[in-house]
Amino acid sequence: MSDEDTIGAGDRQDLTAAEYVLGVLAPEERRRAEFRIASEPRFAAEVSYWEARLGPLAERIPAVAPPYTVWDGIEARLSASMQAPSAQGGIWQSLAFWRTFAIASAALATASLAGLVYLAQVPSLGPPLLAQLNAESGQASFVAAVNKGGDSLTIVPAALLTGDQQKAFELWLIPPGDKPHSLGLIDPTKPVRITVPETLLPQVNRDAVLAVSLEPPGGSPTGQPTGPVIANGKLASL
Amino acid sequence: MDAETRRRQLVAAINRVAGGDRAALRLVYSETSAKLFGVCLRILGDRSEAEDVLQDVYLTVWRKAASFDEAIASPITWLVAIARNRSIDRLRSGAASRAHAPIEAAAEIPDAGLSALERLEIGEDQARLKDCLQELEERQSAVIRSAFLDGFTYEELAERNRVPLGTMKSWIRRGLLKLRACLER
Repeated sequence: MSDEDTIGAGDRQDLTAAEYVLGVLAPEERRRAEFRIASEPRFAAEVSYWEARLGPLAERIPAVAPPYTVWDGIEARLSASMQAPSAQGGIWQSLAFWRTFAIASAALATASLAGLVYLAQVPSLGPPLLAQLNAESGQASFVAAVNKGGDSLTIVPAALLTGDQQKAFELWLIPPGDKPHSLGLIDPTKPVRITVPETLLPQVNRDAVLAVSLEPPGGSPTGQPTGPVIANGKLASL
Repeated sequence: MDAETRRRQLVAAINRVAGGDRAALRLVYSETSAKLFGVCLRILGDRSEAEDVLQDVYLTVWRKAASFDEAIASPITWLVAIARNRSIDRLRSGAASRAHAPIEAAAEIPDAGLSALERLEIGEDQARLKDCLQELEERQSAVIRSAFLDGFTYEELAERNRVPLGTMKSWIRRGLLKLRACLER
């Protein structure tokens, strides 16, 4: 019996959850699946189903004791995230800087790229976390940068978005495998500084995704994205 | 202490982590870090990347502990899923360079001795999965195992097996459908 004989038309089911758990999806597909986990309970349940079914495969992987420095690192990072980072002034909080940055960026076709190059030349700031938020078309819509203290970020429009007066633009932080957490409303026409809630501080790190969705005026009524996601991008250090 | 007691302690510890108990996190770590480090190492193929991701894994456990539901997943299943996801995310972010043994070697890993805890937890599920994987065509079960254990994408699997992408997707999808049918029997 060939494969073809065993798969009928009725079997053309959505296997995205299984493919996500297996890990075979391409990065963009994987990101979309993460978004579905966060927004579709049924899809999330399917992911749990496959995790439980395929999980036993991990039994084949031998255990390896990690060096003790790993735990030290975990403790250090827990302590760091528990102390409210002191608000430091400086260029990352300077609206003037961001205005200049935005204007300079807007003047160039490759707005965000120019911004990244500019940021790379700012001396003595440690590697900042940045994200370029792209529309589905691949066009950069926003550039976001986490400030030096890590407790706020600035998001700058990188493209002229046609403002729909009826819609609010809401910014979301999505840690890997987690649901979206609202960071508040942003303005699609100018740089906005967003203070990260203390509970979310440990999640602001490499691999977390920032996304912007269109919501009713005042923001999502449910605490989760309800409208279309118009742009998203992963945080990465420069 | 028997395996069931240890499993219950692990569930209790994760529940305490949800309440912000750092000593409980330490307990979860000492019980499970060797297993999860093995998982990260297998996918990332690089010790220092795996160490870094392992830290992320337990920080994820720290903030997601409240979402752990004993009724949905066993503690080991839940923890392994986090370790795999963080490792795959790191791999896909391009930060990690892949230093992997060839795919042929992947299927040859001998069954490592199970800890009493794992045996209890996954004993029945493990046996069931093994039976169902055996019902698949050899090549189907081989690529499914390899995808799960090594974190390969469809594209990488197609390349490594020298088949077109569409063929690889079809092998895996048919395999998954059959697997589900078998597991639900």
